[in-house]
Amino acid sequence: MSDQTESLFQALSDAVVGMDEDLTRQLSKQAVEQGIDALATIEHGLVEGMNRAGKLFETEEYFIPELLLCSDAMYAGLDILRPHLKHEKNQIRHKIIIGVVEGDTHDIGKNLVKIMLEASGFDIVDLGRDIPPQRFVDEAVKVHASVIALSTLMTTTMDGMAEVIKLLQQANVRERIKVIVGGGPISQSFATRIGADGYSASAPAAVKLVKQLVGESAR
Amino acid sequence: MSRDRLTPIERFAAYGRGEPLDRLPCVPIVGNTAARVLGVKVSAFRGNGKLIADAQIAAYRRFGYDVIRIFTDLYTQAEAMGAKVHYPDDETAYLAAPAIQSADEIASLQPADPHRDGNLPQHLEAMARAFQAVGREVPVNGALTGPFTTASFLIGTENLVRLTLKNPAAVHRLCEVAYQSARVYAGAILDTGCTPSLTDAMCSTTVISPKQFKEFGQPYLQRLVADIHGRGRAVTLHICGKTAPIWEAMADTGADCLSIDNAADLAAAQAKVGHRVRLMGNVPPSEIMLQGTPAQVRAAVRTCIRQAHGNPKGLIVASGCSLPVETPFANIDAMLDAVREVGWPVTAAELETNLTA
Repeated sequence: MSDQTESLFQALSDAVVGMDEDLTRQLSKQAVEQGIDALATIEHGLVEGMNRAGKLFETEEYFIPELLLCSDAMYAGLDILRPHLKHEKNQIRHKIIIGVVEGDTHDIGKNLVKIMLEASGFDIVDLGRDIPPQRFVDEAVKVHASVIALSTLMTTTMDGMAEVIKLLQQANVRERIKVIVGGGPISQSFATRIGADGYSASAPAAVKLVKQLVGESAR
Repeated sequence: MSRDRLTPIERFAAYGRGEPLDRLPCVPIVGNTAARVLGVKVSAFRGNGKLIADAQIAAYRRFGYDVIRIFTDLYTQAEAMGAKVHYPDDETAYLAAPAIQSADEIASLQPADPHRDGNLPQHLEAMARAFQAVGREVPVNGALTGPFTTASFLIGTENLVRLTLKNPAAVHRLCEVAYQSARVYAGAILDTGCTPSLTDAMCSTTVISPKQFKEFGQPYLQRLVADIHGRGRAVTLHICGKTAPIWEAMADTGADCLSIDNAADLAAAQAKVGHRVRLMGNVPPSEIMLQGTPAQVRAAVRTCIRQAHGNPKGLIVASGCSLPVETPFANIDAMLDAVREVGWPVTAAELETNLTA
């Protein structure tokens, strides 16, 4: 990789960490114009920046507002770079169904997990919020998802998480679909009790968890 | 377990004067769980001030705790200003849609009229009824949502937190109208005889930074606390989630008591602000109160007492947040019983000997 390319990647990463949407867009266009590989630009520029932002979030230097603006910058760059990806269609990426369980509309936590998983290369199907248990199962079967990620902030919806697992068993697909849970009232012991495959307390930790569950790579 | 010698009001008065007590004050924060005491559906509370009051009084009499808090959900003020709230048949309400979509619409918002808008009149009715019925023996609080949190329900949380960095002036305009609304509502709560108790969930450092709290949360809370102090009442401030980095700023609002979530440590809170504020907390509402056994509740209560019974400004043993609707009655009883077992004065020996009781 040339020094010039390397410094462009670094500048892109810095622009994402710096929450600068305009600069990220401008640098992404520059990469395209200079014929730099789009996948490398995404991985070494945008994703690298988002991972740094995730670390700052874990060490409480960044908070939700900062992380969201970093992700805005990352997505602005992705919009420009994605059309230039060469072989994306041939790559099989793990699909993850994510959503907030029925009875709750708090979705910031879910959105942060989605952002960090997307930045790690996973293919995310976001069902949104207030989602009935059966829909998680139907969608997961339809798109051959590897993982279902369930989020809630309300204790009233916790039974819905257990219900998803029960429905997966009834549909005979529990073996091939991992279930992870998270949110304010959720704990590791709750996750264990309902038979979920994992629990994570933060968005960056959710990425590590999913990678463990599906094997290291997102693809 | 035998019931208590003092009424809650007598207990708080004695505690404040440093006189002997029968036990530490104890507040399992009962919200919609009160519906279970009367055997009614949670949705029956909607628009029914008499039923909310009856249920809260019945719950207080059933469990014998130290503060009644008239509370169904955090959205009452935002709803009265135009946010849409969804009311499930038998669960706590949740936000369906914010009142506005963008900062351009902030000027269209008006402070709510507490005697006319949304369900505020019914909540005021519940407060007035509860205060008239039992206000001489137990403090009756009216839940008051903080301006920053109401702002998040008015424009949507993601929208609001982005604006804190992109358009701080708009956030201040929104918090100002939410404050004006809260100020008038606080006055109406005080007129019922009740004391407003503040919750500002979105100010948590789980969501925003300490710097953002100081800019967008604290100033408006400080004004509300001053308003309530102006009417001669002490104020409790609750912020959910992580709060350790903002305990001092929370005390700077002038609040007399900080209610701390279980994501925080009472001993650390005491070390930092215990000489300035009473502490309230922090048995985990979901993991222990909802899902735990009475024995686990007892152990968690003892942990709280061990951590902060020496707090210079006092300790109220409480749940870290409002209790989930389906919290087993046996766990609420266990919380009070554990506090009664430890008794007064709290001694290290007592905390140890009863550990396996």
